[in-house]
Formats: sequence, structure tokens, C-alpha cells
Amino acid sequence: MKLHLTINGKARTLEIAPNALLLDVLRAAGCKSVKKGCGEGSCGACAVLINGRPRNSCLVFAAQCEGADILTVEGMGTPEHPHPLQEAFIKHGATQCGYCNPGSLIAAKALLDRNPSPTVEDVKEALDGNLCRCTGYVKRIEAVLDAASLGKK
Amino acid sequence: MPTTEKSRKKAPARPAQGGTSATPARPASLRKTSATHSPKASAQAPAKPPARSAGRAPANAPHQPPAPSGAKAPVKSKVQAAVKPADKAPAKAATRQTPAQPRGKKVSGKTPSQVPDKATVKTAAQATTKAVAKKAASAKGEAPKATTPFVAKTPAKPVRKKTPAKVTPAPQTRAQQTSQPSTPTAAPKVVEKVVEKIVEKVVEKVREPSPIPQYPLTYERPDHFHVVNHSRYKLDGMSLVTGAPKFTADIDLPGMLHIKVLGSPHAHARILDIDTSEALKVPGVVAVYTWKDVPRVAHTTAGQGYPEPSPYDTFLLDSKVRFVGDRVAIVAAETPEAAAEGCRKIRVNYHVLEPVFDPTQARRPGAPIIHDEPDCKAPLPIFYDPKHNHCAHVETKVGDVAMGFQEADVVRERTYYSHYAQHCPIEPHVCVSYLDENDRLVLRSSTQVPFHARRITAQTLGIPLRKIRVIKPRIGGGFGAKQEVLLEDVCALVTLRTRRPAKWELTRAEEFMAARTRHPMIITIKAGAKKDGTITALSMKIVSNTGAYGSHALTVVSNCGSKVLPLYKIKTIEFVGDTVYTNLPVAGAYRGYGATQAAFAVESMMDELAEAIGMDAVAFRQMNHIREGETSPIFKALGEGREGVSMVIKSCGLAECITRGMKEIGWAEKRGRGRHAPGPRKRGVGMCCLMQGSSIPEIDMGSVFIKMNEDGSFNMLLGATDLGTGSDTILAQIAAETLGCQHDDIIVYSSDTDFTPFDVGAYASSTTYLSGGAVINAARQVRAQILAVAASMLNEPVDDLTIENRVVYGKGRKNKLTFAQICTFAMYEYHQFQIAAVGSHVTHASPPPFSAHFAEVEVDTETGQVKVLKYVAGVDCGTAINPQLADGQTQGGLLNGISFALTEEYIFDDKGRMLNPNFKHYKIFSTADLPEIVTFLVPTYEPTGPYGAKSVSEICINGPMPAIANAIYDAIGVRLTQPPFTPEKVLAAIKEARTAKK
Amino acid sequence: MLKNLTHVHRPSTIEEACALLAAPDCKNIALAGGTYLAESSDTTIQGLVDLSGLDLNFIRETSEGYAIGAMTPVQDIFKSKLLKGATGHLLKAAAGRIGSTLLRHSITAGGNLVSVFPWSDLPPALLALDAEVQIRKGIPKRTVPVATLLEKTPREFLDKSELVTEIHVPAYGATTGTSFTKFAKTANDYSLITVAIRITVLQGLIRDVRIALSGCTKKPVRRPEAEALLKGQTPTPERLANAAARAAQNLDLTNDFRASKEYRSEILPVLIRRGIEDALRQIAA
Ligand SMILES: Cc1cc2nc3c(=O)[nH]c(=O)nc-3n(C[C@H](O)[C@H](O)[C@H](O)COP(=O)(O)OP(=O)(O)OC[C@H]3O[C@@H](n4cnc5c(N)ncnc54)[C@H](O)[C@@H]3O)c2cc1C
Repeated sequence: MKLHLTINGKARTLEIAPNALLLDVLRAAGCKSVKKGCGEGSCGACAVLINGRPRNSCLVFAAQCEGADILTVEGMGTPEHPHPLQEAFIKHGATQCGYCNPGSLIAAKALLDRNPSPTVEDVKEALDGNLCRCTGYVKRIEAVLDAASLGKK
Repeated sequence: MPTTEKSRKKAPARPAQGGTSATPARPASLRKTSATHSPKASAQAPAKPPARSAGRAPANAPHQPPAPSGAKAPVKSKVQAAVKPADKAPAKAATRQTPAQPRGKKVSGKTPSQVPDKATVKTAAQATTKAVAKKAASAKGEAPKATTPFVAKTPAKPVRKKTPAKVTPAPQTRAQQTSQPSTPTAAPKVVEKVVEKIVEKVVEKVREPSPIPQYPLTYERPDHFHVVNHSRYKLDGMSLVTGAPKFTADIDLPGMLHIKVLGSPHAHARILDIDTSEALKVPGVVAVYTWKDVPRVAHTTAGQGYPEPSPYDTFLLDSKVRFVGDRVAIVAAETPEAAAEGCRKIRVNYHVLEPVFDPTQARRPGAPIIHDEPDCKAPLPIFYDPKHNHCAHVETKVGDVAMGFQEADVVRERTYYSHYAQHCPIEPHVCVSYLDENDRLVLRSSTQVPFHARRITAQTLGIPLRKIRVIKPRIGGGFGAKQEVLLEDVCALVTLRTRRPAKWELTRAEEFMAARTRHPMIITIKAGAKKDGTITALSMKIVSNTGAYGSHALTVVSNCGSKVLPLYKIKTIEFVGDTVYTNLPVAGAYRGYGATQAAFAVESMMDELAEAIGMDAVAFRQMNHIREGETSPIFKALGEGREGVSMVIKSCGLAECITRGMKEIGWAEKRGRGRHAPGPRKRGVGMCCLMQGSSIPEIDMGSVFIKMNEDGSFNMLLGATDLGTGSDTILAQIAAETLGCQHDDIIVYSSDTDFTPFDVGAYASSTTYLSGGAVINAARQVRAQILAVAASMLNEPVDDLTIENRVVYGKGRKNKLTFAQICTFAMYEYHQFQIAAVGSHVTHASPPPFSAHFAEVEVDTETGQVKVLKYVAGVDCGTAINPQLADGQTQGGLLNGISFALTEEYIFDDKGRMLNPNFKHYKIFSTADLPEIVTFLVPTYEPTGPYGAKSVSEICINGPMPAIANAIYDAIGVRLTQPPFTPEKVLAAIKEARTAKK
Repeated sequence: MLKNLTHVHRPSTIEEACALLAAPDCKNIALAGGTYLAESSDTTIQGLVDLSGLDLNFIRETSEGYAIGAMTPVQDIFKSKLLKGATGHLLKAAAGRIGSTLLRHSITAGGNLVSVFPWSDLPPALLALDAEVQIRKGIPKRTVPVATLLEKTPREFLDKSELVTEIHVPAYGATTGTSFTKFAKTANDYSLITVAIRITVLQGLIRDVRIALSGCTKKPVRRPEAEALLKGQTPTPERLANAAARAAQNLDLTNDFRASKEYRSEILPVLIRRGIEDALRQIAA
């Protein structure tokens, strides 16, 4: 079946199987930042924004995204023009292996979009679905808070 | 890249192994013969050097930079001499270990008399080696001195360089040197035999003197650091946060097959028959392989130095399955779905055998024999008794423990259990294979050990090692799980047979069941102390469960002693480790590597002893922990598959870790108070002390190639493997510090067996300490070449030159040249040559990082739920090359340790099936579970480490289990011995303690 | 994976959706957040009927309380500014404990209720609140108490072509307190025991009380006998403890690899007692 959607600002028409999951469709469409970590909604490595909501793309049928606006980390910023969150992740050492980064950056962006001045508790809550085995989360939380404070300036 | 190509040829020595041997048996003469450059291999190099330099790899000096055209012998020595004094720090460093005062001697002078007798054997061997080496050297008419300009201690002949025409890089005669620390100069031919004989006797493992240079064994502390010890941003950071397709699975290859391996439903069974005909009919299925279709070569999946200290008990596919999830058959198909369907259609007729799950039952007479195949064996002459499921054994004694216990005022004994756990890298194991345009097999793999992966894959499939190239792209975490060659052989098989690219990616469930785990252990520990706090005796007996295969079976259990027991001054020690096979998931390397399990037992016991003699737990440890200038007989007694290396502690910041940690947690105010508070929720504080190692001394080797570009940047080709830790960045910082530039002037390319020189890989907390040494080695040579060129350009003596941030200054800063100018000159102007060098490194010590951990917990005595309120960890990792990344290692390790202590566990049914192979039921912590975490680094300077560095990656995972258990005890007076401390277990323990009281 | 899925329908009206579900020749099934269905390997499912175009994503105030559209992501309930008081407190607490933030953005109120698992967080809260659901079968609709829906399984209760469209939750006044307890190993873990409490105290006497449990039972249950012990009484510590103990009795508690039956039965009264205490404290506050 045909699927019409916007990926990172670009209108796309994709041919998909009815049972295809968004994760696989996005990766096939070139968004390799969307990572598969568990395939069961637990790790958050596949999180993308769907109409502004951060969701696990492994648990979304691609077909649910007809007309949807999808944002992946590729669309958040580029090396030349990174998003403040991406810069903050580097600055604070929130990236180690980086495999979980795209998902957690998406979750962090969703938080700041709704709540530009989060508390530590807000950040912990908003990123609770993004497992990271490398960093112990401390630096990631610092990074999000720092990006938020930059956003306010 | 002639140098890498050649060093690659110097594959690890291996005994001939029958017809299936993949690696060519080591020709004894290889080192002596001039290895001719393989034109075929060089043709594959994309960044192929100009033919003329490629053809000019100097014979007998595989680590040399390509010699410039027209290099003449007499010039060499001039430059060499001229270069030396310019590099002041290294020159000073060199004086510290002049051959006149051999390091070995100094060390042994400090070694306390309690060093076991055994140790003297090797010292004798070394002494002989030294003597022979000296003789040989003088016979050759050489002065017994190091010839590497950077280590040379003889004053250089002042050479006024007038003619730039004579400038050449500084080639060395490293081939004539050995890695023996105490061997000033060695004539390899003579020494070789003597060493072989003696060492063979002592450790039964032949190790020839290596042709690599005699390294500076100490690194002078500079006045201040320019690049290292600064939190520079991670070089790959931007690409990672912008989602660049850098991971193994991020490439799509046309015609790529998808692999699925059918896992065994039984814990122990013989495969009587497999019918694959229906599977082959599934649309999209391209190939199905069973044990009948593949070579049978016993090997180990453990990515360790060769020959491995793990038994060869694994086969690509076998007619027997030994745990639930064990490989039964391989299906390759056009889509993942077809591969899965293919697996479902395979009909297997199993003869189910009785399994054994309980490690205490495994060695009992009559227990089912898991490895009854005749061809499993240990590649090293070490204990291996598969017929009794007895996979490994290690023991050592220091003094007379019986006497020690007699001497004690209090003796405590208890058994501690450490449980199954998985590393849970967020990226599961994945490998992509394809044939390149030259028909060579490329394995793009998420591995921590690319060079071992190449060797083991060649061995397993019986194909020449040279046919394989292993590339490690970015990898999504490893923690030891990927120090294992688990996928490469299957991918290689499929690609070689079908001639199509193939991909195998483990599902999360497969990652849990069929990848690797932490060795569960039963640790019985008995210890005695005197009232004054002296620890008189400690006996530790361990049963380690390696599951169905013996990956890291010996070394992990050895590490239970070697990375834990030296921490305290214990008068008498008895250590026995036995590793057994069971029909459960396979254990392997996991961050902490045995120290995690043993630290739980030992650190719990330290609290018990302190309480028994009425001493504060901290004061007791402060009194007994090892300090600078001290040693432990354990260092020598326990190595990796052989004897260890004796070592005196040269840096120890543990005392400060403890005092600062106490303040942070509020030890004085809180310890012993929480238990008496009203209400069902009790608080307590607990602590522990830790040590680990840094590299496997005299076994592991790392190497680096650095070449300069005409814009003043450098390509650094690293054998080392960045598994997400940031080691590429750290090693670039070390290079930049040495060269005099910024870390982003270094273009790092790592872990590609075709293009980067050898490195054992990322394990044993070795990358910074070991590979960092190789970086310094290479960078110093390159620096010397830069200075030599600059000297000729400026017409000033090298001694007068200084380097500051990519600029070489002449005397009084009157003249200056940028790196770009210098390299451009060397490339285009006159007597052109490539400024470049290879550096290798072997360590001769494994200096422990130290750490003190403090936990504050709240125990709900009505539900058993334990909450960590605050966790404090202070770490001495020597100089933190990148403090932010070091801190990240600490935080990541300890959070992993906390969830290991509280929630992570494997739950099996009575058939050996894991019931929770997913993140839904195997709970690792998320941000929502994060307690308050305070970490700090206590800087020390480790003179044997690059710029004073030790290691930091493993140590902190070891702390939470004992620190939390000790805190729980403080809160409720109940000692927990069976982690994870789930609410159910804690409540049961509370009730048990209550009934015991009544 | 839904191996035999051939169609995904995107109806724009409830009537259309119900008609698709009614199709006799094809097994169509309602698709809400998809978090359950995406992992399902039900080979009988041929078509999905995506409910996202039915305008069922809302939270509204009504004369009795609140109406929550079936397609409302539970994250919106958790973060709602509209939901207030004792009702709002319990709904938000329950919704906020579901999975993770990412999952809560996917999981819908209707999906969570209809697919009810032992660990599902919203159903016991809805039980304690005496909530009702509006069920549509095309134009026809009926309203049934959540308790009725949960008597068997919602799937069994609902006709093939029926949809849950709205959840109606009464608002309770300042004399009512609520509490929600999810006992699990980690924040994102499935519940081992869930306790939802609603209690009304007037002039020192307990006028009304609901004790709903889940997690430790196959499906959410109310504990009327224990409720009766409290009704009309003053809330003394002994009485609360008694009632909690009674509430934990005569239950077929789950025994699985996550926790033994014995353990669950041991801590259940503790959690219930504490739950009631929490709810009472809320009134005081
Ligand atoms: C990793 C993970 C953790 C989770 N943790 C929790 C947790 O802690 N607590 C918790 O409560 N839940 C949790 N869940 C969610 C729960 O298990 C279900 O997946 C979820 O509630 C289903 O909701 P949905 O909106 O995604 O429904 P869907 O998957 O779209 O549908 C579920 C079922 O309900 C039917 N259905 C949906 N909406 C309607 C309707 N309006 N009318 C009629 N039928 C309908 C569908 O046909 C389908 O059969 C978790 C899920 C995952 C994957």
C-alpha cells in the first residue's frame, strides 16, 4: 500500500506492506538514526516524533502514519547547524557509544518543545523510556537542562 | 601501507594444529627473513601509498616508517643523535630506567619477602636473559644501551646540522631489541633460545623476545598538560548526535541475505537427524546449513590473546546442543521473515539428554557430561577436565592459612552468590559480511576484538587469515559481550558459500540467551582478623559457572583473586577457583571480569570482620588497604592462564577517595544510626573499596601508525577498538599532547585489520594504558621527524627547537615553522619522505585504579523494597586523560552495577529456559530509577602509564553490590548474600533473621 | 508480526469503523495506539481499523465529571490540566505510571482498558472511580459501568462490531481522597501489585470507599467485603489494618517468575493499608 507522509520536512510517498512497522520503514527510507534496540517498546532507541509526539517507532504500524509529520534526529540538526540539544549532548559528554542518542534526543526535544524550563525531575520523567547502558544518565540530564537554559537566553 | 601489512604478517605464534589450522603456523624464521611486501594486499589499500615508498619497506624493521629515498646509513646516526636531546621529557624519562639500573632489579628490591618461592623462578629466567643479552650485545661490539633515540641515555654527540641535505627521519634498529624490561639490548637469536627454554619450563608458554622497541617504562610528569587531562569533546560526538549511519547495520548492500540461526529448545540433546527440505522450500530461503555442512574445528569464541587461555570446546555447528539457544542450523534468506520462517520449517530429531544446571552438581560422579566430544581441548597446557565438567582450575597460596586462622581473634565464614546477568548493549550483536572487489571477505562487525575476530574466524572456517578483513565501525556498546566472536564465523560461511553479502543481527531475546553473560559464582569466603585490625588469613573458594562453553572460564575466575585480593594486606591467603560447565547460557567477559563477583564477597566480609572486632568499617579498611610503594604476592601468583607479573604500587589515591567519599555520604553522622529510627522504612549507609587492573601485562600488545599530512594534520591508524568509551578521542589527545597539536588535528581511524596495525582489542581496561603507550611511542618518533625536518629547514640544531601548538620555534622564538610548512617541505621540497611512524606497546605492569564507593539506602521492612537514595564514588584512575569521559565511565559503570545489584537477573524454568529474555522483565535502570549520584576523580600520577594514566572503565561496576549490601546491613542488620536484592528476597531475609533471633 | 495482515483501514466516522469491524468475511480489528497489536503474532487478523480519524482524542468536563475519548493517549491524561480533584489525582497517578513517556504517547485510554492485562494501570483506577464506558455499534450506543465491562474480558463483552468510544468518570468532591500504588521492581516495570483507592469521609465517618486491585490477580478486582468493613466507620488504624487484611484474603493470587504468590499475599495488606492511609491524608490536605 501507499503511504504519504512528511519525513524531516520532506513530503514522501512510500510503498509499504500493511504490517510494516514504522521503524523498518524509516530505516529503509534512509533514516538510519532510527535504531533497533529491542523491538518491544522498552529501550527507546527507535523513538521519533510523530506529529510532535515522541513514540517508539517499533510499536507503530507505518500505516498509522498516513499524513503524519515525522521527525528523526537527521531532521533535528546537521553537523553544520546542530540543534542546541545535540550540542549540549557533546558538550556534557552525554554521548558515549551514541547508539541510544537519536532516541533520547528526540525524547528530549519533545520535552523542551512542551516545557522549555524543565526541572531535573521533569527530565528524568521525559527520558524514562530511553535506556542507556553507557552513561548512567547523569550527563544526559545535565545536557538537557543546559540546552533548556540556552534556549531561554 | 607497507608497515601495517608487514606487521600484520607477524601473526601471533601458534602451534601447528592439524589440517584445519587457518593461521599459518609461525615460521620461526619469519622475523629474520625480510618479509616481502605483498603486492596483492597493497593493491587493496584505498589510500595506497605511492608505489615507490610501498616498495621500500625496510627489511627487518617492520615497524619503521618507510625510509626516504637516498637514506644513507651514516646519516641515520647523525639524525638520531641530533634528535634525542630535543625531546627533553622523554630523554629524562629514559634516564629513570637506564639499563644500568634495571627496572626489574629496583622492583625486586622492594618486593617484600613474602613473595612466594615460585616467583624466583622467573626472576632467575630474567636474570639469565639479561646476562645473555649483555653478552650477545658486547659480542656484537655494541654498547649495552637502548638504541631508540627517545630512550637513549648516553649523551648525544653534538651534531651541528649544516646541510639540510642530510635530513632523514630517525629510523631505529628496533628489530634488535626485546620487550624484556630488564634487557637493555638483546641479540634476538641468542636470547631467543635461552628464553624459550626457561620460560617454557616456568610458564609452558613460549614467548619470544619481541622485536618491538624497549619502551620508556615510565612517563615523566610534565609541568602542565596541554591537551590531556582536559575534557575535550568526543571526536565522533557530532556524527553520533546527528544520526550519521555509522553503525554496523547502517549499510544496505545489494542482494544482502539475512541470517537466522535456529536455537536449540533443549538444554542438552544430541541431534539425531535434521531435515531441512521444507525449510529450503520456503520462498526466499537461499541456504540452510547444519553441522553436516560445515567444517568442524574446535575453537573458543573468547576474543583473547593467542593461544587463548580458554578451552577449544566450540564448533561452528555441532551434532550436540548444550544449552537452550545453542546453534542448531543456519538459514540465509532474502528477508528476515523468510529466514525466520525457514528456521520454523527445519525438522530436528533430538535425543534429549539429561541436563545439569546446578554448578555444585556438575562435577559429581554420574553427572551428565556436557563436553563428551573427543576433540575439545585446551590450547595451553593448563588444567582442563571436560569429562568431569571441570572446565578450569586455579589455586594459589600465600603463607600458611591454617596458622593465620589460629592467629586470628575472630574468624568469619560465609557463602556469597553472584548471579547471571547480561551486558545489555543497546545495540545487540550484529555482523555484515561481503566479498570485496578483490574477492576478499569483509566482516563489518560490532566487535571489541577485530584482530581476534579475524584470527578466530579464519581458524573456525579453515580459511587463510589473509583472506579476511574485519572492520569495526561505531559500535553500540559492548561491556565485554563483544569481546567474543559470536557472529563472524556464520556470516563468513554464508558469504563464502553463497558469494552474497549477509547480515546477522541478534534479537534482544537471542542477545540474552545465546550471547554472553556474567559468570555466576558461588564464593565461600573465610577470613580471620586480630582485635587490632590485622587480617591474618583469608580463604576464598569459588565455583564459577561458565554455562555450556568455557569462554573466559579460567581468566575470569583468576581475576576474582588477582583483581581483588591485593587490595588488602592479608598475611595468609588461600585461593581456589573452579569453573564448571552447566547446560545454561554461556558466560564470558563482562566489565569487572570476576572482580565484580569477588568484590561482593570480599567487601561484605571486610564489613563482617570489622564488626566482629568492633571497628568502624572504614577505619578497618583504611588500616589495611594497600598503598604506594607496597606490593602483593598475588600480582605474581595469579596471571591470565599463567603466572602474573609482580608489581609495586606506584600510585594510589584510595585514601583520598575514602575520606572525600565519607564526607559526601555523611558517614560519621549516618553510619549505624538508621536502624533505630521509628517506622517501617530504615536507612543505612555502606561502603566498599575497589581495585582493578590496567591491561594484561606482558601478554597484550597494542600498536598505532601515525602519518603527517601537509596541512599539519595527522592520520592516526589505531588497532585499538573504541566501543563507545571514547578511546579514539582519548588516544588522539595523547597523540596531540605528544606531538604538540590539538586533538582534532588527529584524524583517527581505528580497528580495521587491513589498514590499522594490530591491537588486542578493547578489554581488560587496557586501551588507555596499553594502546596509549603505543600512541606515545609512535607520536614521539613522528615528533622527532618533524623536529629533524624543521632543524634542517631553519638550519638550527634540534636541541634549540620547541613545539607549541602546531608551530616549531627556533632558539629565542626568532624563527618559526608551522606543521603545515614542515610537512609540505618533507613531501615536496627536498629529500622527500613521509613523516610517519609505527609504535607498539606491551605493558609490564597492570597498575590498579582504585575506588571507594558509598551507598545510602532505604529499606522498606514491610515490603522488602530497597531504594538507593544516594551513591558516591571516588576514583583514582591516575591522570584522567579526558576527565569528562572518565567520569562518564564511572557513572555508567556504577549505574549498571546498581541495577545488577537490585533488579537484573536471569530467571530459568526447570528446563533451563530463560523466562525473561527481554527488557520488559529483565530490568535495567532508566532515568526514573536514578538515585542521586556523586562521582569524583582523585588525580594521581602513574609513572608507568601514558601521561600518568591508569584505567577507569571496569572498576566502578564492582562497587554497588557490596556497598548496597553493606548499607542494607547497616539499615536492618541483615546480611544479604544472594543478589539481586529484590523486594521478595530482602523480605524473606528479614523474616529469616527474625525467626533466627527468636 | 501480523503475518496475514492485508489491509489497514482509516475510517473517518464511527459508523464506518463499526461497519468495517462487522465485516463477516474478513477479520478486522480495531487499532488504537498499536502498542499491543504491533507485537502481536495473531495470524487470524486480516485487517486493522485505525481509530485515529474518529475524533476520539479528547478530555472534556461533563455535568457529572469528565469524558475521556478512547483514543486519548494516556500521556494526555497524565499531563491534563483539566482533570482535577480526587478523580484527577487518581487518573493522573495511574496514567503516569504506565510504561514510559514514549509508551504513554502511544498507549490510548481505550486500548489500555480494552486490552486489559493484569499489569494494566488504568482499569483498576477506573474501577475505583466507578467509571463507565460508552460503547458504540455504529449509531446505537450503550453505556456500561467499567465493572461490568471487566466482569469477563472486554473482548468477550463487546460485540465484534462494537467500539469503546468514551470513558465517563465522575468527579468527587473535597471530602474524597484517592491513591494509586503500583508496586514493581523499577519505575517502568510491569506492576506486581496495583492498588487503587477512593475514600469519602464525612464528619469523621467513612461514607464511601472503593478498593480495587490488580497486578496480583488475573484481572482487576474490587474488594466489596473489605469496603463494607469500613463503610460508616471511623478510620482507626486497627480498622484500616483489618480491612486491608480482609481485602487481601480469598484471592487467587498470581504465582509467576516475577513474584511468588506467598510474597504477594504478604505485602498485599501492607500496600492496601498504606493506600487507604494515603487517600485519607489527601482529604486532610
Ligand atoms: C514495553 C511495554 C510496557 C508497558 N507497560 C505498561 C504498564 O506499565 N501499564 C499499563 O497499563 N500498560 C502498559 N503497557 C501497555 C499495554 O500492555 C498495552 O499494550 C496497551 O494498553 C494497549 O493500548 P493501545 O492503545 O496501544 O492498544 P492497541 O494495541 O491498539 O490495541 C489493543 C487491543 O485493544 C483493542 N482496542 C483498542 N482500542 C479499542 C476501542 N476503542 N474499542 C474497542 N477495542 C479497542 C484492539 O483491537 C486490540 O485488541 C506496556 C506496553 C509495552 C509494549
